[in-house]
Amino acid sequence: MIRLERLTKRYGDKTAVDDISAVIEPGRVTGFLGPNGAGKSTTMRMIVGLDRPTAGTATVNGKRYAEHRAPLREVGVLLEARAVHPGRTAANHLRAVAATHGIARARVDEVLGLTGLTAVAGKRVGKFSLGMGQRLGIAVALLGDPRTLILDEPVNGLDPEGVLWVRHLTRALAAEGRTVFLSSHLMSEMAQTADHLVVLGRGRILADAPIADVVAGATQGIVRVRTPDHDRLDRAVAGPGVTVRRGDDGSLEVIGATPAQIGDAALAAGVALHELTPVNASLEEAYLTLTQDDVEYRETQGAVR
Amino acid sequence: MTTTAPTPSRLADARLSTLHVLHSEWIKLRTLRSTWWCAAAIVALSVLFGLLVAGFINRHGGALPTAAQDSATVAVATVGTNFTQLIAAVLGVLVISGEYGTGMIRSTFAAVPNRLPAVLAKLAVLAVLVFVVGLVAAAATFAATAGILPSQHITPHPTDPAVWMPIVGSAVYLALVAVLAFAIGALVRNTAGGIAAALGLLLVLPIILGIAVGLTQATWLENVDAVLPSAAGGQLHTFAEPAATAALSGPGGRAAAQSTADVVLNGWGGLGVLVAWIVVALVPALILIRRRDA
Repeated sequence: MIRLERLTKRYGDKTAVDDISAVIEPGRVTGFLGPNGAGKSTTMRMIVGLDRPTAGTATVNGKRYAEHRAPLREVGVLLEARAVHPGRTAANHLRAVAATHGIARARVDEVLGLTGLTAVAGKRVGKFSLGMGQRLGIAVALLGDPRTLILDEPVNGLDPEGVLWVRHLTRALAAEGRTVFLSSHLMSEMAQTADHLVVLGRGRILADAPIADVVAGATQGIVRVRTPDHDRLDRAVAGPGVTVRRGDDGSLEVIGATPAQIGDAALAAGVALHELTPVNASLEEAYLTLTQDDVEYRETQGAVR
Repeated sequence: MTTTAPTPSRLADARLSTLHVLHSEWIKLRTLRSTWWCAAAIVALSVLFGLLVAGFINRHGGALPTAAQDSATVAVATVGTNFTQLIAAVLGVLVISGEYGTGMIRSTFAAVPNRLPAVLAKLAVLAVLVFVVGLVAAAATFAATAGILPSQHITPHPTDPAVWMPIVGSAVYLALVAVLAFAIGALVRNTAGGIAAALGLLLVLPIILGIAVGLTQATWLENVDAVLPSAAGGQLHTFAEPAATAALSGPGGRAAAQSTADVVLNGWGGLGVLVAWIVVALVPALILIRRRDA
């Protein structure tokens, strides 16, 4: 379990992470979603002590990461930026990391096998493709068989097969009761992998809820209506908190009323309805709705490391 | 039990410890080619310059007093140090700046989140490796030149402390230079900048100060010159000689003989000054390593 309490990181007068609090629960995949530069990587680096919080705390399984006797047994972390010396082979990189905890070479061979890197274990990391580098980063994260996994953009650079593999792996890890905290700016990937979402925009948490709720919340009460008589329907459903707007294709979108209310009102007013459809937005639309204020930020500020 | 879990109990006693971290840093040091290129260059340059000087020292001279013979023996075995120190410095910078430059430092600090154990272990394996390489270089140089010197009226007395101590001292000096360079690399966190700063301190600053001393004859400048890392540390690999034989000694001894500086260091004094340099660079480096974002 990861607990963030009023976590804040400022670089000069730029606030990368702004007073966020959240609990990342075990047994499920928690997606960490947000535009580039929203503060996802900074948050993840603060959890494992690579960045020092300006204020607030991040704890893993009840303690600060650095206070654990065997940090690699608690948290496996894949960092977005490459964190490997290119002159070293994959096997030697893993051996060096494993040695800090006295983890046996047999486990190094195991994670090389798990990540499909056995054949290239003796190759220098500098010659690796982006996808192989990602696999090596995941191998490092798995070394200590940790209770918590923090994976920053794990599918970056992976081929479709690799994306599928990461999806199965993270689902399996969560099913075993581990905490899996996974960042991405790809909504489609999140929709298929995560159970729970923490959405970050401009350093603040925009949503922290089950994935279905995030989708529902952002598209609350939109109903598409088709009728030959726009004006009478307008009057029929009009009321406090209800707005009607015209769609491009001649349909109407009613916001703030349920399909039942709209249908009843239409019947009472004698208006024919040709369509009455509650709109289920995709996660993508939900995400865009949540983060629309941050788009400009993303484009002007670039990534805050 | 799972797709990712290890064979049961294999990880049960996995935990951080000083020995584990030392082992990790040793793996890291020995698995980079740059380490062994630097080591090979140190040995090769040492032997090369030793042979070069051995070929010329007292070539047409006659019999020498014992002290002069010992001084010449030491000079031949350690003359390469003036060059190999630069390689030791480059290696010292690389060991730490290479991790910052490649992002490896994040893997290191993620595994050892208290950071200092990893940095100190890195420093320890670096110092031991450079010391051993320095010893190998000095021994190889001594062995390579021992056959040449007797024909020039110089009989090596390797068992005399006055001879073997400065020869071992050259290895100590190289190790300490690597440590000083490491501290500079840790402060700068950049390979090019770190190497420039380290070589500037070891190579360029003494030249500039030497010119300034020559122009001004100012005693205070001579004092500064005498406590620069290379000059002070140079006493570690200089034959401690009676004044009469000064003319045959290495660069360090000659400077001391001609200098009017108030600061005159022997081997132990030189060691103390060099260690002081290391402390001055290393303490802020360690503080910054703990505080800065990785």
